[in-house]
Amino acid sequence: MSQFLLLLYNDTTRPPNLSPDEMQKMLERYMAWREKPFTLDGKRLAEDVGRVIRSNSGKPRTSDGPYSETKEVLAGFYLIEAANYDEAVKLALTNPHAERGAIEVRQIYGS
Amino acid sequence: MTPAETGVLLEHLFRRQAGRIVSHLTSLLGPANLDLAEETMQEAMLRALQTWPYQGIPERAEGWLFRVAHNAAIDALRRRRFSVPAAEDTDDTIAALAHAADTMPDRPDLDEQLRDEELRMIFMCCHPDIPRDASVALSLKTVGGFGVNEIARAFLAEEATIAQRLVRAKRQIRENRLTLDMPAAFDLPRRLDAVLETIYFIFNEGYTAHEGDTLIRHDLCGEGLRLGQLIACSSLAAPRVHALVALMAFQAARSAARVDPFGDLVVLEEQDRSRWDTPLIALGFHHFGQSIAGDQPSEYHVQAAIAATHARAASGGEADWRTILSLYDDLRAMNPSPVVILNRAVAVAKVYGPGAALEAIEPLQADAKLRTYYLLHALRGHLMLELGRRREAADSFRAALECRCSEPERRFLRRRLASCA
Repeated sequence: MSQFLLLLYNDTTRPPNLSPDEMQKMLERYMAWREKPFTLDGKRLAEDVGRVIRSNSGKPRTSDGPYSETKEVLAGFYLIEAANYDEAVKLALTNPHAERGAIEVRQIYGS
Repeated sequence: MTPAETGVLLEHLFRRQAGRIVSHLTSLLGPANLDLAEETMQEAMLRALQTWPYQGIPERAEGWLFRVAHNAAIDALRRRRFSVPAAEDTDDTIAALAHAADTMPDRPDLDEQLRDEELRMIFMCCHPDIPRDASVALSLKTVGGFGVNEIARAFLAEEATIAQRLVRAKRQIRENRLTLDMPAAFDLPRRLDAVLETIYFIFNEGYTAHEGDTLIRHDLCGEGLRLGQLIACSSLAAPRVHALVALMAFQAARSAARVDPFGDLVVLEEQDRSRWDTPLIALGFHHFGQSIAGDQPSEYHVQAAIAATHARAASGGEADWRTILSLYDDLRAMNPSPVVILNRAVAVAKVYGPGAALEAIEPLQADAKLRTYYLLHALRGHLMLELGRRREAADSFRAALECRCSEPERRFLRRRLASCA
């Protein structure tokens, strides 16, 4: 088994206009996915833009994160277990987030 | 086990909490800020949707939602202070919100307080100054926690139409300066009647078999019953409140048996009574018992008494039709509406035969408005068939099929039409 990091991006341009009941149903689908044994961990990130440290000819410089200009914000991540990329992608596709925003799937090196 | 451990939430938890949060925040923000109360509720639920999938459901999910909603309201008021020249009492409101958020989880009378706030809210939503259709939409949206799209689905209306009704209702609230104060004693009967009518309208819209989403209509029945019980369990529980709850409970108890496994309509007499919901029947009799105390009998009383008589019968054939007929006589004296006369005619047919029932509905035939009412034609067809007048029966069923009715009703009518041959 390998480990994969799923990076979930939210689309900030259109906040979903759902009824409370629809939000609960959506939430329940997320929770059901999270309860599956392949999910090892998951964390939501704070909504701010974060900080980026970049080195320019040996001099590290700190600036605000890149998100202020993009429409997609990294919202959170999951760590999952899967046999290979194909299976990891298949599992990521069953996460309800696949219908609402982007998911980046990356294998943990050497796992 | 807590929700955090199971990952499962109570059914309609969000919808229920939405109603409570909006009622609660409106009591703090004032009715003129109903929009803000709704927006912050929405914000709190959206936050849950953004957070819980990663961190899991918090141990006290309801408390979490309330706390986040309070904080969102405080933030919104602070932001507003920059754009709008500060209203004098904004600071007080913020302090009240902060205080409520802090003390809320530990209040021993929290449930009672929230019920009281819901009650005040429903009375404001059903204020006689607000048109009925707007009252219905507003009650479902604010106290019921339904979405505009769900209300639209339930009433087969456009979302824009429902949204417009809500805007109109909120304008009435602002312009007429409606408050969340309970009505004064002299005004209470009129205000209570307006509330009961709205509740029964909500229930009936869910109960009446017309086309549209079955699931959402089932939810409307549940909401009508819930709101009725909310009032029946309060200090405002007049006997007619219990009568209405009894009526709704008896009717809701039969709703599963009204449709057979193929989705076809089953008339009351042919219903499989083992499919009636026993706890709901018991609830009906409980409130029916309490409805009898004092007061003059209302239409709800008589209708509940009719439903109770049906519920008492072991099988459809053994219903006490003489009692039912005399109850319909009472109901007709109170409200000689076509629907009452039609339903009474069914009882007339049982007691005096189909000929007498035909005579009873004769005056309705002349009413132009009823020419498109399928039940009138359907009943006439049924009575004609019992009299062996097959051709006239077939004509009536054909006329019924011309009217607006649901698909199960249409199938039912086609079956009846086929049996005329």
